[in-house]
Amino acid sequence: MPEVIETQQLTKTYEGGYFARQDVHALKSLDLAIHRGEIFGYLGPNGSGKTTTIKMILGLIFPTSGTIRVMGREDIASADVRRKIGYVPEGAYYPDFLRGEEVLRFYGQLYGLGGKDLEKRIDKVIDIVGLGHARKRLVRGYSKGMRQRVGLGQALLSDPDVLILDEPTTGLDPLARKEIRDILASLRDGGKTLMISSHELLEVELISNRVAILYQGQLRTCGTIDELLTDRDTTIEASGLTPEALEKMKQAGISAEDVVNGRGLLRVPKTMSLYEAMDACRQAGLAIGSVAPRRETLEELFVRIVGTARREELASATA
Amino acid sequence: MNFFRSTWSIALYTWREGIRKKTLLGFLILSILVIFGSTFMTAFMAAPQRAVDLGESTVEADVQSKLIKDICVSAITIFGVLITIFISASVVPQEMDNKVIYTVLSKPVSRFQYLLGKFAGVQLIVLVNLLLMTLLFFAALWIRESVIPTLILWSALLTYFQFLIVSAFTFAISCTSTSSVLPTIGGLFIYITGNLTEYLNDVSARVSESTNAVDYYIGMLAYGLYRMLPNLRDFDLKDQILHLAPNDPPADAMIPQLLLAGSVYALAGYVLAYVLFRRREL
Repeated sequence: MPEVIETQQLTKTYEGGYFARQDVHALKSLDLAIHRGEIFGYLGPNGSGKTTTIKMILGLIFPTSGTIRVMGREDIASADVRRKIGYVPEGAYYPDFLRGEEVLRFYGQLYGLGGKDLEKRIDKVIDIVGLGHARKRLVRGYSKGMRQRVGLGQALLSDPDVLILDEPTTGLDPLARKEIRDILASLRDGGKTLMISSHELLEVELISNRVAILYQGQLRTCGTIDELLTDRDTTIEASGLTPEALEKMKQAGISAEDVVNGRGLLRVPKTMSLYEAMDACRQAGLAIGSVAPRRETLEELFVRIVGTARREELASATA
Repeated sequence: MNFFRSTWSIALYTWREGIRKKTLLGFLILSILVIFGSTFMTAFMAAPQRAVDLGESTVEADVQSKLIKDICVSAITIFGVLITIFISASVVPQEMDNKVIYTVLSKPVSRFQYLLGKFAGVQLIVLVNLLLMTLLFFAALWIRESVIPTLILWSALLTYFQFLIVSAFTFAISCTSTSSVLPTIGGLFIYITGNLTEYLNDVSARVSESTNAVDYYIGMLAYGLYRMLPNLRDFDLKDQILHLAPNDPPADAMIPQLLLAGSVYALAGYVLAYVLFRRREL
């Protein structure tokens, strides 16, 4: 079974400078494989090459070198392949003089759909994205979350195998985020493959099966959430955190976070056993509320990976 | 079937979006006001002609009629060309700005189809606006002269082909641009140059007798441009509208040749647009 999306040595260089060449390497030899039925989080700081990758997959820009395969096919500009991909761009405009269902009708016609087939498909998509109550309202009166549902709807009209979403939850309120997240999870459960590019790391962590982190056009890490978030430690919720007690904990190698009115969280490093940590707490006169294992968050992993990449870049620039 | 459905859908969307543009509406309303206004204005401008001792009322009516025709034809041409340039220059850059182009071109829609749909939508807008203005002028003249002014219809047909040429090349420039400013300037340049090609021929003829090498090359360049650029003046029947009877057929106008030339230039403009847009990075 081929990968749903696969890139090999994918490179994109923008030529710049009229007199002296100042090429911009947007993507450098990217090897990526997105499996069927997974949600793939595609992460990276601004300018790391996420949107460049997506645009190349969609045929909106062209690779300098390397190959892209979608469902095993290299002719990604063909109508057959395009039918298998749904795309939701970040912050796209949907004509506000049209009703929700009219927007979907316009996009449906672009797939060559018409008549009863199109109407049936619109009904189904409206049901999936939960726009039934507002389908006859003008997009002008839609909230940001509803517009995002229209965006999702237009991408689902051809019942594509793969959905590519650029910042699907950015700018939405928590409730709308949860609703979009639920829709995306149900699409995955229905067998679709989703590639999500986002800065909302908590959202990505909650929903993704695998993630990749990109920095300056290079893939820095890629794997399942469980594979990547291996850095675990223990936290102790404690009270009685006076300045003297905090000093003693620091000497013992335990850091404190979020200390308010003498209560806070103590972070026990991986190198220290829990018994040693409890001993140190007793000696400092702390009362222990709870002890919990803690896994590194995606945000922490992201900061660590990007931070390391930046330091490497700086070091090579100064060398 | 799918090809036409998608293309027509893009054209219709472009038209629906285009007719909501405030600038375009402004031009249209202004042109309608000018056409209406001209018929009222002439009612107060007959006094100086009374001195002419050549059958007072006939001369008066003739001058008034010419004035109305002059103002109306000018208004249709000026506002029509502004609408044409404005809309042709903006449809593609605007979709790049609001990212609609990404959602459309990620569907099974080729770039050729997309451009064809956009161009067809632009032509719908240009045609509807031109028809509105022409019908108003046609009605005013019909009421005034009591004959069906068929010459106006011939003029509208040729004016549309003039707009079609300007539109096609403005559209082509817009396919290389991210804003509508450059294509608007380009469109105005094409329109103005297209109306001045006779001067290029004059330049070429005048310097052909010169022995100066620089003059020779200027002459060659002027002649080349004269042969290459469309002569938009050929599409203008204003003089005939002013001097012939409203129901006369167009005199000396090679209408089939002009329509063919207009179509060929428009096709060349569209092909240029496609060549520029085919591998454009979006």
